[in-house]
Amino acid sequence: MYNFEAARKRSELLMNIKQYFIGKDYLEVSTPTLSPYLIPEPTIKAFSTRFINEFTGSKELYLIPSPEIFMKKLLAAGSGSIFQISQCFRNSEQLGDVHNPEFTMLEYYTVGADEKDSIAITEDMIRQTALKGISPSWLNEKPLVITMSEAMMKYASVDMDKAENIEYLRKEAVRLGLEPGVDESWDDTFNRIFLTYTEPSLPKDREVYLTEYPDKIACLAKNEKGRPVKKRWEMYIAGIEIANCYDEETDKAETERYFREEEERMHEMRVGTEDVIPLCDPAFPSLSIPQSSGGAMGLDRLLAVHLGLNCIEPLLLFPLSDMLRP
Amino acid sequence: MIKAGQIDKGTALLIKGQPFVCIEREFVNPGKGSAFVRLKLKSPATGQVLSETMKSQDNAEDITVEDKDLQYLYNDGENFYFQNTETFDQIDVPMKSFPDYEYFMKEGETYRATFWEDQVLDITIPSKIVFTVAEAEEAVKGDTVQGATKYVTTETGLRVRVPIFIKQGEKIRVNTETKEYLERVNS
Repeated sequence: MYNFEAARKRSELLMNIKQYFIGKDYLEVSTPTLSPYLIPEPTIKAFSTRFINEFTGSKELYLIPSPEIFMKKLLAAGSGSIFQISQCFRNSEQLGDVHNPEFTMLEYYTVGADEKDSIAITEDMIRQTALKGISPSWLNEKPLVITMSEAMMKYASVDMDKAENIEYLRKEAVRLGLEPGVDESWDDTFNRIFLTYTEPSLPKDREVYLTEYPDKIACLAKNEKGRPVKKRWEMYIAGIEIANCYDEETDKAETERYFREEEERMHEMRVGTEDVIPLCDPAFPSLSIPQSSGGAMGLDRLLAVHLGLNCIEPLLLFPLSDMLRP
Repeated sequence: MIKAGQIDKGTALLIKGQPFVCIEREFVNPGKGSAFVRLKLKSPATGQVLSETMKSQDNAEDITVEDKDLQYLYNDGENFYFQNTETFDQIDVPMKSFPDYEYFMKEGETYRATFWEDQVLDITIPSKIVFTVAEAEEAVKGDTVQGATKYVTTETGLRVRVPIFIKQGEKIRVNTETKEYLERVNS
């Protein structure tokens, strides 16, 4: 009933990853999974719970969707390169396939590096930490690095140079047989096209690093100088999204603006719904984050693709869907 | 109308006037983007499969369906023939709408069918079925390699890859989704 063989493989992979980063002089850190504040992320839904204390008064706490908030505090305080493997939580996730509301994440920050350096680091790490005696075919192929603009042209014939203009993007969506809403945001129309045509067409026989995301999709990555793209990539293996990575934003004014706009967007999207509106950390935008590149990788998914699976549930000893079954 | 996020496997929808049944549903959260659902929808009339990606807040037109029990009679290579067990009406369903079902349904047995108006949208078959081996190849002499397999044919005509120890007349359990052998059944 419990898959102990998978548990052994998980243990081996996690151990290899820890040894890899420790061997490269990254400091392993352990930060809270329960926090009184988060980073505003309108599209990631949080779990909340209540801390009850008769002296300080009770308080809402949140399960972290990623340890980013704490790891960046450490970077700003001079930790140097750091990594951690921790449990993370995302509400409203599907049960099954490659989702479970609680999952295991590797987060690694390399000081002095940018997102391009992180491609080399990630490629090397994945190869050096591979499971003994198992050699999935993707591991023997050279990874593909492709920009979003190349991928959108190749798989959807959409010209990203013109796509800044929402009218053009909407017309392209209609040409492709999609039905974008009239008052739909740029992100949503873009994702309609991306998810229908581009993402499913990415090669499945190798690691794919999809780089240079449009800067209209807000995130805490730096902008590429003079171009409307973010220094950000997402990595896929066998068509499954495994990791994402930024050249971390270091400009305090930009971070402040992100916080203001995303908090506002989060309120707009969530007021009147069941979704939690978490408190956001007001001190975060004033952190002095050094030049660094941060990656986040779903380890349940990485383990799955090493074992040739396209779902993570067989690798979890207690998938939530099983525990919820009547 | 329902929200696309509420569509599940088996939900029946009307798309451009044609009924479709959802056969696969996956939630996708693009990095830093809203929630979407990726659907595979099958037209019971033609067997055609559509892939749709919708925002989970998009509206979709769902249709009300009704389940009825049908006894499978036979097929003539083009249609399956059933009898409604309540009204005794005979119903024919194009075989191309339910590929391979001739191997899974046994004559005389009753199956649950989903109807929209007069049209059969879905026929439920068990995910695992026990078959009798009607024909089995002789295992090649001297072939003692561990994990060696051969083909057998079930009483319904389904060819299945099985371990070499399976003999004619024995019963085997088969996964109907993958058409793979699961185990020998001792009767």
